Amino acid sequence: MSRILVVEDDERIRSSMRLALEEEGYSVDDVASGEVALARFGEEHFELVLIDLMLPGMDGFETCRNLRRHSTVPVIMVTARSDTHDVVAGLEAGADDYVTKPFVAKELAARIRALLRRSRSDDTGESVLSFGDVQIEPDAGVVRRDGEEVHCTRTEFRLLCELADHPGRVLSREHLLERVWGYDYFGDGRLVDVHVRRLRTKVEPDPANPRFILTVRGMGYKLAV
Amino acid sequence: MGPTEAPRATGVQGAGSATRGARHSPRTHLSGGLGLRARVTATFAIGALALSTIMAGITYFTARQSFLNERQTTDQRQAFANASLLQNSLRSPGTNVDQLLEQADTLPGSRSVLRSGGQWYATSISVGKSAIPDQERTLVLAGTPATQLFSLSGTPQLVIGVPLPAVHAAYYEVFSLDELEGTLRTLAFALAAAALVTTVAGAALGRWASSRVLRPLAGVTAAAVAIAGGQLDTRVEAGDDVDLEELASAFNQMTANLQDRIEREARFTSDVSHELRSPLTTLSATVGVLESHRNELGERAQSALDLLDGDLQRFTRMVDDLLEISRFDAGSAELSLDEVDPGELVRRAVAVSAPGAGRRPGGAGAVPVEVAPDVAGLRLRVDKRRFERVMANLFDNAAHYAGGVTRVMVERHPPGRVDGPPPLSIRVVVEDRGPGIPVPDRDHVFERFYRGSRSGQRASSEGTGLGLSLVAEHVRLHGGTVWIEDAPGGGSRFIVELPYTAADLVYPAGDAAGGPGGGPDRVQ
Repeated sequence: MSRILVVEDDERIRSSMRLALEEEGYSVDDVASGEVALARFGEEHFELVLIDLMLPGMDGFETCRNLRRHSTVPVIMVTARSDTHDVVAGLEAGADDYVTKPFVAKELAARIRALLRRSRSDDTGESVLSFGDVQIEPDAGVVRRDGEEVHCTRTEFRLLCELADHPGRVLSREHLLERVWGYDYFGDGRLVDVHVRRLRTKVEPDPANPRFILTVRGMGYKLAV
Repeated sequence: MGPTEAPRATGVQGAGSATRGARHSPRTHLSGGLGLRARVTATFAIGALALSTIMAGITYFTARQSFLNERQTTDQRQAFANASLLQNSLRSPGTNVDQLLEQADTLPGSRSVLRSGGQWYATSISVGKSAIPDQERTLVLAGTPATQLFSLSGTPQLVIGVPLPAVHAAYYEVFSLDELEGTLRTLAFALAAAALVTTVAGAALGRWASSRVLRPLAGVTAAAVAIAGGQLDTRVEAGDDVDLEELASAFNQMTANLQDRIEREARFTSDVSHELRSPLTTLSATVGVLESHRNELGERAQSALDLLDGDLQRFTRMVDDLLEISRFDAGSAELSLDEVDPGELVRRAVAVSAPGAGRRPGGAGAVPVEVAPDVAGLRLRVDKRRFERVMANLFDNAAHYAGGVTRVMVERHPPGRVDGPPPLSIRVVVEDRGPGIPVPDRDHVFERFYRGSRSGQRASSEGTGLGLSLVAEHVRLHGGTVWIEDAPGGGSRFIVELPYTAADLVYPAGDAAGGPGGGPDRVQ
């Protein structure tokens, strides 16, 4: 049973989320502030964290950034605003995905399931993927650059694998959303954009002028060969 | 495209502004008739004309008087000199009078007439006794020297009469003023020309001055247009002109107030929507828990749960719609554009919109999407989420009022060849077989909470009342339009027209690896 940490200051929402997620078969711990969440996270193991953006004291962005410093645990932002600013800021703080209030419990559960998927649903069967000085071991879930391990979140890893699986091919944002996040055609392309940006800072020699993960205007992204 | 293009004018563009301008309020009339520029120009021209005419008149008459006086003085001097010469000569008897007179005519254009011993002598045939005005003749004969201006066969003449009492004679000298007249004519002509030039210069100056004065107004006009177009943060700059400062600051103050008010209203709506989201989240999560324990509930409790769930969804949608509307009102709605295949986009949108419609009686489960062949290969820049909302709302609307959507078409406008010039727009046509919408209502169905004459119809309570107004807002944000026509064979036809820009056709050339249809993302 996967353990989920819910960080939400509204007690009623917290309780209802726990009820709903437990109904979906998860074990849920809930805390009311970012500070407490970080303390709990240091002591115990959680497989996924849900963070509300608007928290008293340390807000959701800050909590997520702090969490990311030493963990690659999947994080879903819970926001009452779907404005570009909040969504992009949340993703840049390190979140893997976001949901907007009010969400339907079944949809939230589907998002959680997509993030918790153990490995990519690949069919290439390659044991090692590589480009430039980057080596990827899909089965071990390890990325190395110049032999040194690069810490990627599970979402970043899946995104990298998907790109590396199709070198030279343009992959549309819809395709990546579907393969990496499990979204349909109308998923939010900003998820892909922010994650690609983050990935570049990890595998590109010069993230501002990418050599490997290229943007193809109006089409999507591709891994240069 | 169908035969009925005419109701296009009843599109959505006017709906917002028309309702906003309806309130009665005091109006300041600026002016009527001619434009400000024309009036300033005319005033300058008329002023210049009047001034130059008066100046020219004064110059002309002063010059004429001074020329005449000078001429008169010269001529009188000569006439008196001649007269005294004649008098001396006439004293000696037996003098040839005619010969004497000939010598007297020294200046060109001067002719002498002499009366001596009861007889008239003249140096010119044309100028004799009869040419000299009667009054002049009598005065001089009576012993008084006299000078008179008169006209002889059309040319002005000056006659100077000198009595010669010592020899019982009278001497008249007639001077032609032809030359002087010519000079004056030239002067008059020059003055008239100068007046004309001054007038034209005045008009030009007026035009320049008025455009100079109006230039800041052009700035204000541009700002007002921008504000009317929704750019509420537009401000006017006064520069370093003190006279304009007042206008600029008043204008900016007005805009700031307006912006403040609109933002406050929008913020209020937005805050309310956000505040409502917290209890809605709790409600939604707990209803979800109840749903999964549905089987444990009694029949009545199940019905109650269904009602609760149905209205919770509707309430959620309404809050979402209100929030969306408030973003449009605050001008903070942003497009997140993607380049997509129009046919694919519509098919996908229909796929997620149709099931909701399909649940209702009469709603078609799967609505076929007809993509015109000439749309193939075109890429449309569109905000997918907003487009999906447009389709979902049109489907909802059709389900509520017209028994569901029957047909969806994607067309190129104007139609053309795949390899021909790019089209102006892509049209998505959504048809139903409902009762149709009367022409007068077509303007209003895109207004918020408008139910109008359709209010009595079935299931009207299921909508949020914001669906079609959001359709209009989403489409307008794309720079497109939406309007209603009669569907052939009855029912309504909603036409969503999204502008197509030529840049959309440009494929990144360097992506040969993907190739046409090569990428796994290309769902054909």
